[in-house]
Amino acid sequence: MPVMNLVQAVSYTLASEMARDEAVVVLGEDVGKRGGVFLATEGLYDQFGPDRVIDTPLSEAGIIGAALGMSVHGMRPVAEIQFAEYVFHGFDQLVSQVAKLRYRSAGQFTAPLVVRMPAGGGVKGGHHHSQNPETHFVHTAGLHVVYPSTPSDTVGMLRSAIRSNDPVVLFEPKRLYRAVKEDVPEDPDHIVPVGRAAVRREGDDVVLVSYGGSMAETLQAADALAEQDVASTVIDLRSLMPWDRDTVLEHAARVGRVVLVSESPHTAGFMSEVAATISEQVLDHLLAPPTRVSGADTPYPYAQDRAYLPGPRRILHAVQRVLEY
Amino acid sequence: MIEESSRFEPFQDEPLRVTSDEGAWIASFDLDLDEAELQTLYRELKRARKLDERLGVLQRSGKSSFVAPSSGHEGIQVAIAKSVQAGRDWLFPYYRDYGVVSALGVPLEEIIGQMTGTLADPAGARQMPSHPSSGPLNVFTALSPIASHVPPAAGSGLAQKLAGKGDVTICSFGDGATSEGDWHAAMNFAGVQGAPVVFVCENNRYAISVGLEKQSGSATIAEKARAYGMPGYQVDGMDVLASLYLLRELVERARAGFGPALVDASVYRYGPHSSADDDSIYRPAEEVAAWRARDPLPRYRRFLEQRGSWSDAQEAALDAAIEEELDVAVRRAEAAGVPELGAMFEDVYERVPWHLEEQREEMER
Repeated sequence: MPVMNLVQAVSYTLASEMARDEAVVVLGEDVGKRGGVFLATEGLYDQFGPDRVIDTPLSEAGIIGAALGMSVHGMRPVAEIQFAEYVFHGFDQLVSQVAKLRYRSAGQFTAPLVVRMPAGGGVKGGHHHSQNPETHFVHTAGLHVVYPSTPSDTVGMLRSAIRSNDPVVLFEPKRLYRAVKEDVPEDPDHIVPVGRAAVRREGDDVVLVSYGGSMAETLQAADALAEQDVASTVIDLRSLMPWDRDTVLEHAARVGRVVLVSESPHTAGFMSEVAATISEQVLDHLLAPPTRVSGADTPYPYAQDRAYLPGPRRILHAVQRVLEY
Repeated sequence: MIEESSRFEPFQDEPLRVTSDEGAWIASFDLDLDEAELQTLYRELKRARKLDERLGVLQRSGKSSFVAPSSGHEGIQVAIAKSVQAGRDWLFPYYRDYGVVSALGVPLEEIIGQMTGTLADPAGARQMPSHPSSGPLNVFTALSPIASHVPPAAGSGLAQKLAGKGDVTICSFGDGATSEGDWHAAMNFAGVQGAPVVFVCENNRYAISVGLEKQSGSATIAEKARAYGMPGYQVDGMDVLASLYLLRELVERARAGFGPALVDASVYRYGPHSSADDDSIYRPAEEVAAWRARDPLPRYRRFLEQRGSWSDAQEAALDAAIEEELDVAVRRAEAAGVPELGAMFEDVYERVPWHLEEQREEMER
């Protein structure tokens, strides 16, 4: 099996899908000869040429809108937004045009496209290169929202997204782009279905739920807990819309103590939905209130870049609260 | 700029006209449309006008919640429909364009179904009135956020260019749309890509109440084309023949690979912006009357009459036929029924996900 990091998994999967299906094209800023500012499209231009790896003008509304117009002709565009917070230039295209096309036309037209964007903090990128805007899109009917955290999942989920007949917004945790290398499945049809979580480890003392970049700190916290003989179950949600409620509830009910880790802003973040659902559906099994560890409801800070993220120290404090409740 | 020989010169000071207000042919070239086609244009102008009037009646009688009147726009709207090959080329209209879709061949029953929220609407009554669509005729579903359909139209053109079959896209919008960022993004995208898209501004000089002089810093909409590397044309959008000749040339030009163009079609809307608007607050009655005198329908009828190609008897027969067609369409649209509650959960995604299933059950309980 090929060994690669997360950003290599993106270009590997794009190449694999473009070779399989001529309808798949890539478009965005600097995706051509440059191979993308993070090299997520490296090599594609040489392999597939300028008609399938399209350098666009610097306009997110243009990129997403054009991707939509191409998709109604049966193409499967994969649009790259250079940094997640730049998507707001194309927000209306994504939430009003793309997300609603199947619905408002009653299926006469569909938008089988993917919008990929690097997201998340911890890279000294300041306010506009660090955010996690996924909740905006979870609140948008018509979009699937996925956020893999490993190279293997990136392969399987990007492939799922490209083959989906619905529009998919795929967030990539950019501080994990080059964090680890692992074997990824070589099967050109290997997919990870949208809507399925992964249980990374199982233990009976506490359940840690996270997704995206925060999976790294969540696993570090689980390691630290293991050294203190606290056994944790770690769930990687991977998909936010739809999300794998059954897996989360099963482990929440079994263990009774849940800590929810997300680096997006705290109030009305995705973990608020998870906490509310756990409370509504398995309250009798709980031994402590589901407890969130999040980013702050502030703009993403530059100087306090790392403190903003829910690191192992803050996660461990929350675990201690639910264990001592 | 992409160049090729052309009957019409871009960036002229005055809008292109081929007939006078009195209906005389004034072009420098010979008319080459046969009588049947000339009469068809009049039938479609009249159909669009009577459709608009009927939609107003349906709104006032409570059968429809809203209408964005199109009377005064018929010349350019019929020309848009008749400049493309229906079912081959793609249209990205805006909400006032039911004159485009009726002349293109979308059944009146479907249009009225859309306006009255019944299942005669091929889009299943999912949107408010004045948002037409047609899958078989490649009419992309109109949407309310102004100019948001223009970037997808540029993408449609890029897809057509890459497919290399000579298909084209035509995208229409009002003058207010040209202020939106999406519009500029799309024009630039199409210009860079040489996408086969004809952009048509149905310039009625008002974005609801805000006049053109407060909308644009440039003297004309047409001249904005220069900045995007495409030709820009002014046309009298109330002169159906001028509009048709120009659009056909630009559509064929795009088909031949010469890229996009922008048309600034001068029109006037005789009604308010919408059924929720009172235009007497911001438009002087004299101004409306002056544009009424240039109504595209009587003007074109005079043109036909001067050729001996139209009579009072034909006019009476046409009126009766359209009224009958509208009566039938209204009856059929109503008979189609309205969507059931659960239909609101369909088509959000290809398959209904678990959370929507549960929300449907909760609502139907």
